[in-house]
Amino acid sequence: MKGPKAVVGVYTFIDDALSAIELAKTSNLDYRVYSPVPHHELEEATLPGKSPVRFLTGAGAVMGCSAGFALAIWTSLDYPLRVSAKDVVSVPGFFVIGYECTILFGGIFTLLALLHFCRLPNILRKIGYDPRFSQDKFGVVIGCQTAMVDDLVARLRQTGADEIQVREGL
Amino acid sequence: MSHHQTQHQHTECTSCEEAHPSRFRGGIVPTEAKPLTYEEVNTTVLAMLEPPTYRWWLFLALCLAAVAIGGVSWTRQILKGMTEAGKSHPDMWGGYITTFVFWVGIAHSGTLISAVLYLFRAHFRMPIYRLAEAMTVFAVLTAGLFPLIHLGRVWYFYWLMPYPNERAIWPNFRSPLLWDVFAVSTYLTISSTFFIIGLIPDIAAARDAAKTKFRKILYGITSLGWSGSHSQWKHYTAAYLFFAALATPLVVSVHSVVSWDFAMSIVPGWHATIFPPYFVAGAIFSGIAMVITIMVPLRKIFGLERILEPKHFDAMCKLILLTSGILTYSYGIEFYTAWFSNNEFERAQFWFRPFGEVGAAFWGMTFCNCIFPQLLWIKKLRTNIPFVFCVTILINIGMWLERFNIIVQSLSHEYIPYSWGWYNFSWVDIGIVIGSFGWFGMWMTLFVKFFPAVAITEIKEILPAPRRVAQGGNH
Repeated sequence: MKGPKAVVGVYTFIDDALSAIELAKTSNLDYRVYSPVPHHELEEATLPGKSPVRFLTGAGAVMGCSAGFALAIWTSLDYPLRVSAKDVVSVPGFFVIGYECTILFGGIFTLLALLHFCRLPNILRKIGYDPRFSQDKFGVVIGCQTAMVDDLVARLRQTGADEIQVREGL
Repeated sequence: MSHHQTQHQHTECTSCEEAHPSRFRGGIVPTEAKPLTYEEVNTTVLAMLEPPTYRWWLFLALCLAAVAIGGVSWTRQILKGMTEAGKSHPDMWGGYITTFVFWVGIAHSGTLISAVLYLFRAHFRMPIYRLAEAMTVFAVLTAGLFPLIHLGRVWYFYWLMPYPNERAIWPNFRSPLLWDVFAVSTYLTISSTFFIIGLIPDIAAARDAAKTKFRKILYGITSLGWSGSHSQWKHYTAAYLFFAALATPLVVSVHSVVSWDFAMSIVPGWHATIFPPYFVAGAIFSGIAMVITIMVPLRKIFGLERILEPKHFDAMCKLILLTSGILTYSYGIEFYTAWFSNNEFERAQFWFRPFGEVGAAFWGMTFCNCIFPQLLWIKKLRTNIPFVFCVTILINIGMWLERFNIIVQSLSHEYIPYSWGWYNFSWVDIGIVIGSFGWFGMWMTLFVKFFPAVAITEIKEILPAPRRVAQGGNH
């Protein structure tokens, strides 16, 4: 979120927060929204579309399936146990290994995707964050130039903010 | 009376304190009359993290004492050998494998409630899923101990893993026992990750409300710096959905793989194709019972009546009825298949189970799993929480007896009469089983005091979002 100043609007009501988001978008300003709970209206207003997490999940699952079968088949050929004239490479028997590895790798890649896209762990300063945003308040943080602060504060007040703070931005 | 149109509706409504003052104590008003607010959800759930009373310490001490009993027993077994555990021909599998299957089964309903019911958008799961998922993780941790204990020479456990070694051998991937290693390890990894991901936003709420430096540091680290920004929520909800989708097949597959430990053999009473669905239904049955067993005292102790309502118990009792029905059918089909097969060994096995030396175990299982739970068809009993608690205790006992019946009774009465025998419980065996309950109880006790045991974020998701101009709900 760019701008030397960050104007933080603290909201109790979600429709007021949506108005503030609209204001930031029409003013072409960088913004960030904090909320205690995910909400489809906030998502549609800020980042419509699908998350790219699904690509990594799919890639992990395919890799896991291949790895599971490859492990079982290669180790069977490397150490061929004679099992009553049955096939050394018995694919039905290896199905469970491939299946479990599919889920395991899919899960691990999903976790990595989550950490990457959510920028976790995050030890940096969270601009405009207020502990009330994890409780019952919504926060709309808008980055702007110093000269625009007063005008922005006045317009945010009209959207119904409970409280407006001005902090240092990026 | 503000939410009713007529006096008659007011009188009939079981939620109104004015109409039924004797039903309410302490000024707690149910959600139909006064919905929870976001702040109240935080306050109620985070109040569980307040410094513990003597009762918490007492319960933890009991759990640690049980763990110590298990530790002493295991030490004795390592020093003296597996005969200390009562394992001898023909029952080379006894109390350990019974308890292993019991704990893996308990774990399944946690994933059912947290993942499967999430995909079905079943809102009744919201207040209970965190406890259920915690139960899953700790139950799998407990179950995972038993293959190690049963090895005897536990220091060789890594031989189960496929790694290049100087002996130039690999594990046998055709063996159900190795499938079990992969299945249970994957289940532990995915369940733990799913659990931890679900906890992150709630730990952030605990971080922001923390009063002591220790908790600020603990929650600050474990929340990974979560802030609840719009981009984080977007990717988080997507990842959570995919995790639920990945965990769902595990509910079916893991206990099916465990059942194949038995069904892939030729032991009479084991070699049956019904085992996978039979075991999965039994797992969900015992798991839901254990969730209720844990929830009832926690609800009372922490004052969670506004969050864990009778309707949640009603929904879970319906699941119990469904799975009890499937289990009763499976028991019947086992007998029918044995009779229809005309296989004398199979028929002999299924005569031995109810009428053999330990027929009491069979009848105990039947009463606890098939007969007594049928009382839950009565709605008044489904919402009578003390009664439901008693039913779930009996179900847990019955399900342990079921695994005992399958494993020990079958091994005791195989093909050749000369090799028929019986399993004798030893104090080492009993001590380790007691230790496993203590181990599980210890982790649950620590969890409910240090981390939010009810899902703050998900309960808020089903509440209507606060609006200046009133509209429909959040969903």
